[in-house]
Amino acid sequence: MANQAKTHKIKMMEEQLAKKLNRQVVGSLVGCVHCGMCDESCHYVLAFPDDHKMTPSYKADQVRKLFKANHDWTGSVFPWWVGADKVPLSDDDLETLKDIAFGTCTNCRRCTLSCPMGVDTATLNRIMRGLLSHVGVMPEGVRVVSKDQWEIGNQMGVLKEDYIDTIEWMSEELEEDLGHAEATIPMEKKGAKIMYCINPREVKYDPRTIKEAALIFWAAGEDWTMPDEGWDNTNFGLFSGDDGLGGACAKREYEKARELGVDKIVISECGHGFRSTRFEGVNWAGESEPVPMESSVMTMLNYVREGKIKVDPTKNPEKMTFHDSCNNARSGGFFEEPRELLNLVAMDFQEMYPNRAEGFCCTGGGGAMSMSEYTPRRLESAKIKADQIRATGAKVVVTSCHNCVDGLNDLIKHYKLDCEVKQLVNLVANALVLDEVEKPVEEVAVPEEITVKPVAEAEPLAGRKILVVDDEEDVRTFLITVFEDAGAEVISAADGNEAIAMAREHLPDLISLDLSMPGKDGVETFVELRSTAETEEIPVCVVTGHPEFRQVIYDRPVPPPEGYLGKPVDEDKLVAYASHILEHRNEKAN
Amino acid sequence: MHEVSPALHTAEVVHWIALVVMAIVYTMRIRWLLSFKLAKDKSAPGNPAQSNKERGARHSLFNVAMPWSMESTRNPKGFVFYLSFVLFHLGVVAGIILAFVSTIAPDFLRIPVVGWTVMTLIVGALLVSLYRIGRRTLRPLMRLISTPDDYFSLIMLTVWFAVGAATQAYLMGIWGVTNGVFQIVYLYLTSFFLLYVPFSKISHYLYYPFTRTYIGRALGHRGSYPVVRS
Ligand code: SF4
Ligand code: SF4
Repeated sequence: MANQAKTHKIKMMEEQLAKKLNRQVVGSLVGCVHCGMCDESCHYVLAFPDDHKMTPSYKADQVRKLFKANHDWTGSVFPWWVGADKVPLSDDDLETLKDIAFGTCTNCRRCTLSCPMGVDTATLNRIMRGLLSHVGVMPEGVRVVSKDQWEIGNQMGVLKEDYIDTIEWMSEELEEDLGHAEATIPMEKKGAKIMYCINPREVKYDPRTIKEAALIFWAAGEDWTMPDEGWDNTNFGLFSGDDGLGGACAKREYEKARELGVDKIVISECGHGFRSTRFEGVNWAGESEPVPMESSVMTMLNYVREGKIKVDPTKNPEKMTFHDSCNNARSGGFFEEPRELLNLVAMDFQEMYPNRAEGFCCTGGGGAMSMSEYTPRRLESAKIKADQIRATGAKVVVTSCHNCVDGLNDLIKHYKLDCEVKQLVNLVANALVLDEVEKPVEEVAVPEEITVKPVAEAEPLAGRKILVVDDEEDVRTFLITVFEDAGAEVISAADGNEAIAMAREHLPDLISLDLSMPGKDGVETFVELRSTAETEEIPVCVVTGHPEFRQVIYDRPVPPPEGYLGKPVDEDKLVAYASHILEHRNEKAN
Repeated sequence: MHEVSPALHTAEVVHWIALVVMAIVYTMRIRWLLSFKLAKDKSAPGNPAQSNKERGARHSLFNVAMPWSMESTRNPKGFVFYLSFVLFHLGVVAGIILAFVSTIAPDFLRIPVVGWTVMTLIVGALLVSLYRIGRRTLRPLMRLISTPDDYFSLIMLTVWFAVGAATQAYLMGIWGVTNGVFQIVYLYLTSFFLLYVPFSKISHYLYYPFTRTYIGRALGHRGSYPVVRS
């Protein structure tokens, strides 16, 4: 093995490693005594007790070996003595390393707190990810997302017009809900106090959170704006280990904040977005803070503390527990404020153990949600979190992170837990007492009683024909009922072939498509619909219980679906989505 | 001055030379670590209510004396391991004292309270190191992460403790140990130990203040360390 020549990629990795070394990193590289005490702090170890390669020090040793072989005298002179002889040599070795660095560690940093030597294994694993990414060895999902973030400016490849369209949609809805002409979402407002940056997931899958945040800002009389560029608070550089990407993403936000002349950047509830924008971004970008930055949780909490908004906790009566995002809590020191806010807006909060900086990862961290090849392993490693949640008996798991929302939803489904996931923005918006709120100074008369109109009230889908495709009868029945209640004419299919035949025959206005079906699955069906002249223009809203297929479908060489919803589906959200897709379609046609 | 045989005298000289070499190599090792740039966190302190670099660093540095501060030493199994860790390291200290004091003031080690304390610690550490050999060789997890250096360092320490116990018994005139060769062997072993340590994992104690301070400062700055529990 020792005589085998190193490949070009490995030489490049070695060169790159030299650039990543600093005193803290070297300390972690030389400090490990292989005591094994970090072992049981890792959720992968707890889920796979017989697979010892899950132990944190083994993962960190992968980069440690490279370091010892190239930078440490003992490793250079007696490599076999300190394990530096087992360095990667072939491209196959790199595939193995990829599996370790991306597939067995979410960089949650929990093991760091259990290491007597203070070895920061998560940082070492991120370095290994960075070395692999540098030579193009990474999971497909990481590659696609990184590319989107480099090229399009956000990690989900949301085009500017789609982003603006979604913000306008939410703005119109807010105005309509409140019946107040001033209740809109400001865009590109120079000199505003706050620039609000969000996670692209909110645009693509959960625009409701944008509207809720806007409602809260409006209720607080805040002077805020959303930017038209640099709005993505997430940063795949944190996950891929690419500091260049990390710096570029952070700079986009910082430069926009300077351009708009805002006083503060407020980061929507996203754990890695908070960590990347608020902390790591300035280091990657090599600059100091452009303006103060804070999590929207802090902003909302201050509104309540200062009496700018009034909340009624009885509106959130269910038993709730709180999941700490690792990036917020362990790497951001942000764990008391979400609890304080939760206690102010909800009635029944039950702590889960361990928590705060010692909490377990939701297992969707470190970009794991974008790596569908590791989904089974990820879900198995989620058992400890599922057990923790189950022990609280809570009906709602609250978290301040979009990534954790997806991770937790996945594990709730997998372990059949009887609860749902919410974010603090959902709870605060729900608990808002609007008629007691002091309105903005410049505001015109406001109706006495403000109630948010139920979306389905006016049969928003009247006159539309919708094809529901789902192999599960109860889901099909549910979707049919929701669409029919909203005024639509509904036809349905139980598999891919039937769906294609019905789409050709009936040319519906919209197709609601499940992805996981026996026989021709949703992905194949989708591609065929998009590749057939009669059906290619029919808008498709994917409704699936498999978030991991998201990437698969977006990777197809056909235009992406118009909408994407995860199961279980919220009725209002489903109708709102369908209406929006159809309206958007009309606008385009006109 | 105590009377020494030529063989013991040579062992003492070698021992002191080894100590000087070790000090030189350690200095080089620290200079090497310091030659890497210290990364500065440019971000503003995390949570004003909790963020404190210095407090984080201090707490982290003394983490070794606070078994409650880490989950891995807080749970019952971990706490037993922690106790064995304490005994092991106290045994190392006793062994070092034995090596040096036996060359300059052996009578001090014959004072019963001193002698028995040193003996107890060394024998205790010997038992812990035997347990550790078993743990490292029998547990598949430990085998997976262990390098030849990890095994050798542990075996070497175990032998050192064993010979140290015999040396202390000889100095105290107990257990029928009358052979002074033990002391000579012990000094040569210590010399080898001093020369080998800077190149091995045993030099972790040299890095400990650095790694602990760095992680304590980093997480203290963010506000997540010292860990808050409820
Ligand atoms: S960082 Fe988290 S996932 Fe990675 S090894 Fe440590 S505990 Fe496990
Ligand atoms: S990382 Fe720390 S706890 Fe884990 S084996 Fe190394 S020294 Fe021990």
